[in-house]
Amino acid sequence: MELNFVSVEGNSKNYKIAVGVLAGLFLLGLICYAISYYEGHYLFGSSNVIPWGMPIVVLIYFIGLSAGSLILSTLVYVFGQEKYKPIGRMAVMLAIALIFGALVAIAVDLGRPENFWRLFMFFYWNNMTSMFAINGILYSGYFIISIAYLGIILSGNKVWMKRWGCLAIGWAAMVHMGTGAIFGFMAAREAWFTPIKPLEFLTAAVTSGVALLIVVLILTMKFTGRDLRKDMVISLSRLLIVFICILALLIFLDKMTHLYAPERAAVLYSLTGHYAWVFWVLQIGLVVVLPLAILFNKKLRTIKWIFIASLSVVVGVFFERFFLVIPQAGFPQQYYPGHIEGVYGAVGQFAFTPVETLVSLGIISMVVLLFLLGLKFMKALPEKTPEEIAAAAAKIATPKTEEALKTDIPAGPLVVENKPS
Amino acid sequence: MARWGMIIDLDKCTGCQECTIACKEENNVPHGSPEEQRRRQDPYWHKVIAASEGEYPTAIIEMVPMPCMHCDNPACVMVCPCKATYRRNDGVIMQNFRRCIGCKYCMVACPYGARAYNYREQEDLPYNRIDPPLRRDLIGAWPFPHRAHGMVEKCTFCFHRIEKALMEGQQIGTEVVPACVEACPAHARTFGDLDDPDSEVSILLSNRTSIILREAMGTKPKVHYLTK
Repeated sequence: MELNFVSVEGNSKNYKIAVGVLAGLFLLGLICYAISYYEGHYLFGSSNVIPWGMPIVVLIYFIGLSAGSLILSTLVYVFGQEKYKPIGRMAVMLAIALIFGALVAIAVDLGRPENFWRLFMFFYWNNMTSMFAINGILYSGYFIISIAYLGIILSGNKVWMKRWGCLAIGWAAMVHMGTGAIFGFMAAREAWFTPIKPLEFLTAAVTSGVALLIVVLILTMKFTGRDLRKDMVISLSRLLIVFICILALLIFLDKMTHLYAPERAAVLYSLTGHYAWVFWVLQIGLVVVLPLAILFNKKLRTIKWIFIASLSVVVGVFFERFFLVIPQAGFPQQYYPGHIEGVYGAVGQFAFTPVETLVSLGIISMVVLLFLLGLKFMKALPEKTPEEIAAAAAKIATPKTEEALKTDIPAGPLVVENKPS
Repeated sequence: MARWGMIIDLDKCTGCQECTIACKEENNVPHGSPEEQRRRQDPYWHKVIAASEGEYPTAIIEMVPMPCMHCDNPACVMVCPCKATYRRNDGVIMQNFRRCIGCKYCMVACPYGARAYNYREQEDLPYNRIDPPLRRDLIGAWPFPHRAHGMVEKCTFCFHRIEKALMEGQQIGTEVVPACVEACPAHARTFGDLDDPDSEVSILLSNRTSIILREAMGTKPKVHYLTK
């Protein structure tokens, strides 16, 4: 029951165009970052009221996706769910690309990145009561652990795969709960201050991780001309349903604790104020309502609709992070009883600036680029079956149409037999 | 060791903003262009807020000057990952620009909005400050002797005046006070040692009803307000 993995050739026109466009966006982001470093952060949209902007949104989003997909990969290597084996390597590779993107996003948001090394002078020049310092250990450890994990998986040592996988799953959970604690422990920001935040982050991480994996799986299989196993996608989508339900419950509990307590102004504003549509439409709509409506509908149990549902979760979780970091931070703090007049009582406004947007896009395209290069230079994809090779040959003979792509691919065998070489 | 604190009499305060201007002059804090103020990216060390309560016939507006509260239990020191923000032995919360990495976590954690970020390279560069001591033998040249963008800055209780007075043997609280206390035309502010029972601040605190801002946060500010 062995499964051989291969890399993509990377010679097709689509691949080259994708790599070229992504590299261009990355370079643009790099230039914009250099400008922001020399000019100052007035080029970003953040202000004294909303101190954190898009790089932090991208950071926590990527950390979540990374932790989520690493946790999923342990389904294969620790819990022995052999049916997910074709995606195991891809999930770990994705996790590494995403954590790298997250670390870059942290560096981008710092005003003085050349002082960054102080964060790693543990117990000596850094302050270990800070969640940032604790997360410094967690993030850098996670980066090393996931790279070592990929190495072990590639080497194929089953015992160490299991042991290291246990470490990786625990560490990944801690990484994302630590990220939640950055926000959840801030007593001064009423809307953030809740003990449920770390758990909510972890659930959102796993949810978006599953969704991203489905999206990446479908896209990669489609563009490399492999047969997609429909049963695997459907069982992943069932997993997605469970996590979405838990996430919805945690969001509900979080908001209810804040609304029930007398000091409810900040959360009430975030649910009914100017940016409430971000919460109701982009967060609740895209993460909970639309995916559940699709996934619970038996008629829509096709690859195309599952793809749409997963994509909506991936996009929606981004807006969940966005809503947390930007609109919820903008509510003015109650320095003194009564209504605070003037600017100090005004809700913070966030302006999207071209530099910030391009920097964020640059980070995102860097991650996708890393993933594409990883597909080329590492053996992450399952080997093509003889039928797939025959189908590919047939497709070259007869030009394929859009319709042919959209039709559902029938369920194939669970595990591909290793052909004798 | 003294524990410096400030008393602000809300009954005397008229909200003239003289303290804000004096702070800007003393510490060379940039004024901020209208564009910066519109986007709320202007650096400030001191602010005066107006809190209103009630409707027109019975409305009341309270002017509350807010420097850094120099909390005894500071949230910013707790979250700073690099020890850039620290509490001096005399209770003043300081920001070390050599160590600050500009992560803005302290701005997120501060319940009083006392911190501001340098969003651009300012024209007013010097801080008029001598701290931290230049340990060139240990650390080398100080990279940020001037105001540079990308760092968080805040009120220092005019610690340079305190240091100078201690060196010259002047009486702090009567002869030497922070710039905002000196500038207040209504004499609404008093500065002194909270641990010294004979100091003016201690006498005021024991004789008048005083409040601290956002007491529920548990930060124990050293800036006290006398109520009307």
